[in-house]
Amino acid sequence: MRAPGPGWRHRIGRATPFLLLAPGILWLIIFFVVPSIQMFLTSVSTGSVDSGFKLTFSSRAYETAFTRFPRQLTNSLVYGGLATVLTFLIGFPVAYTIAFRGGRYKNLLLFLVIAPFFTSFLIRTISWKILLNDAGPVIGPLKEAGLVGEDFGLLYTPLAVVAGITYNFLPFMVLPLYVALEKIDPRLIEAAKDLYASNFGAFRRVTFPLALPGVFAGSILTFIPALGDWVNAELLGNTQTKMIGNVIQDRFIGQGDYPVAAALSFILMAGILVAVSLYARFLGTEQLTG
Amino acid sequence: MKNEIDAAIDGLTRRRFLQGSAMAGFGAFLAACTGGSSPGASPSNAIVIPTPPPATEAPSPSPTPKVVTGPLHWAQWPAYIDLVGKAGEDGEYKPGSSPTIEAFKKKFKVDVNYEEKILANEDFYATIQQQLVAGLSTGWDMITVTDWLAAKIISKGWAEKLDQADVPNCSANIRDALKNQVWDPNQDYHYPWQSGMTGIGYNKAALAKAGKAEPKSLVDLWALPANRITFLNEKRDTFGMGLLKLGKSADPQSTTADDLQAVHDDLKPLTDGGARFVGNEYIQDFASKKTWAALTWSGDLASSGSEDDRWVAPTEGSMIWTDNVVIPKGAANKYTAQLMINFCYDPKIAAQIANYVYYVSPVKGAKEEIAKLDPDAAKNPLLFPSDDVVAKQKNFQFLSDELETKMNELYSDLAGT
Repeated sequence: MRAPGPGWRHRIGRATPFLLLAPGILWLIIFFVVPSIQMFLTSVSTGSVDSGFKLTFSSRAYETAFTRFPRQLTNSLVYGGLATVLTFLIGFPVAYTIAFRGGRYKNLLLFLVIAPFFTSFLIRTISWKILLNDAGPVIGPLKEAGLVGEDFGLLYTPLAVVAGITYNFLPFMVLPLYVALEKIDPRLIEAAKDLYASNFGAFRRVTFPLALPGVFAGSILTFIPALGDWVNAELLGNTQTKMIGNVIQDRFIGQGDYPVAAALSFILMAGILVAVSLYARFLGTEQLTG
Repeated sequence: MKNEIDAAIDGLTRRRFLQGSAMAGFGAFLAACTGGSSPGASPSNAIVIPTPPPATEAPSPSPTPKVVTGPLHWAQWPAYIDLVGKAGEDGEYKPGSSPTIEAFKKKFKVDVNYEEKILANEDFYATIQQQLVAGLSTGWDMITVTDWLAAKIISKGWAEKLDQADVPNCSANIRDALKNQVWDPNQDYHYPWQSGMTGIGYNKAALAKAGKAEPKSLVDLWALPANRITFLNEKRDTFGMGLLKLGKSADPQSTTADDLQAVHDDLKPLTDGGARFVGNEYIQDFASKKTWAALTWSGDLASSGSEDDRWVAPTEGSMIWTDNVVIPKGAANKYTAQLMINFCYDPKIAAQIANYVYYVSPVKGAKEEIAKLDPDAAKNPLLFPSDDVVAKQKNFQFLSDELETKMNELYSDLAGT
């Protein structure tokens, strides 16, 4: 008879990674895989909420989804893309300053970046209505000074939507950038300068490449939710600025057309997956993990 | 999600100028329902109006035990009951801010969970529809929904049958014009909460500043700068008014899909030019002068707007509708809900509510009680509209499935989704 001791231990040891992964995998199966399958099945069903949906493997929803909403899809891509670029342009200097010049105020500055997030997403978006209003602090003084016409307005324009998305997702860009920049060994930059690199040269050849994982993570974290966002378009836009999220919301709640809503969600998800894998390939997958 | 957003918006800006500001043409009220021409009540054989389920089940399968249980869960529209104190100014209910609810709690020693959860019929319906389809409880004991939705819920057998013996005030005091609805002729499943009209709201000062005349008709409203007007996301209101604007009769029986298409084509240049669809949050856009004029409901600007806000019934006509209290199937506290409905049909209580919300009370005798509470309100010419206004009220609530589908499609196209 063999002693169970070491062999048993060994087996447990080998199983450890799986055991540690189990809660996460279980979570994903219950809250991602199962709903995804359900969503796909809904997207190929026909019927109505009142009479119930029957699985008919109809492609009607996908036909509608692909043909009816070119403007809203374009809006999503353009607004999401613009917002991502803007958060990067605004966020990088912020993250850079905090990482390299923050000194003992680092934690305070980081806190300030996330402080607005203690308020609800909705309230923050609604605040932009007040900011961008005709009599608000942005346009009001310009109007008083006669710099813009009486009918000039920002609220309920595409600009307001992009501004709202940019603001709402800024920390998702700043924090990964900060983490990447903070990790950079300052001695590498010193070395570059010792080798006669200019300030800008050192930034371009050393700092920025080392910060790329942060850029990658930040832009993914910003672009994906921005693409699916509908709150900013709903609250700050007009009928011409609706994004694909608004269509999904309307199909689901307004019209009870679950198949088209599900098809659109599925297409959006698949589209993002493709875009992210291309992006990852372009920047290198290892960047994902830093 | 949408409801929460709207609630948040609403909570931010509602201001209330009780009784202070006279609202032009704001009346329409009481006469709206007393007038002989109440179109909603006219039965018809041409149109598919939802009717109550056939009484195949046993007359009373499970008599409701006459035991007060709670808390009573009541889903309601914002600022749709009497509010006092700070809540009265904000137009947002907080526990303790409604004398009616406090009196009910005290009288029956039961808690009331009153929530301003309904900002649009469709959005609210979407939150309870699946439970109702599945035969589950919605979590609500009382909901307040507009005619078409009340009729839909009742016709599908998703409403609890009321024990008339428990609601004596209701059967005694309901205004005659509101009785005999085709979809529930014997008040087996519903009692009206308030009635109101859809017309034109505008800000006098903003229009004057821009050198625009105050709109008297829908044609006037349509002619204002598109990015300064809004329409209602309650589709029946917007399409009904759109029909009137085109000189068509907003009568569900004679309206065709082509008529709705004509309304869409008439509105399209406006939405392309920046006109938007909103719910109760139009109050906020009026306050910020972003909106100069809009399709609005009769009571809101009176109760929650500024002194420059006016409401008129357009010369082409207006929409009339009623919000109704229904007890959804599976309600845990049905008896208590009945007690509450009955309580609110006491003319004194009804007057107290109507005098705050500025909508038409369905309760006989409320008018006299309002006069006692507030002599000005009863004398106010705005409260009692001219026969002309009453004669031109239309009910565009009950649409055939075909029309409803068409309207939904056209609306989505206009709304940009």
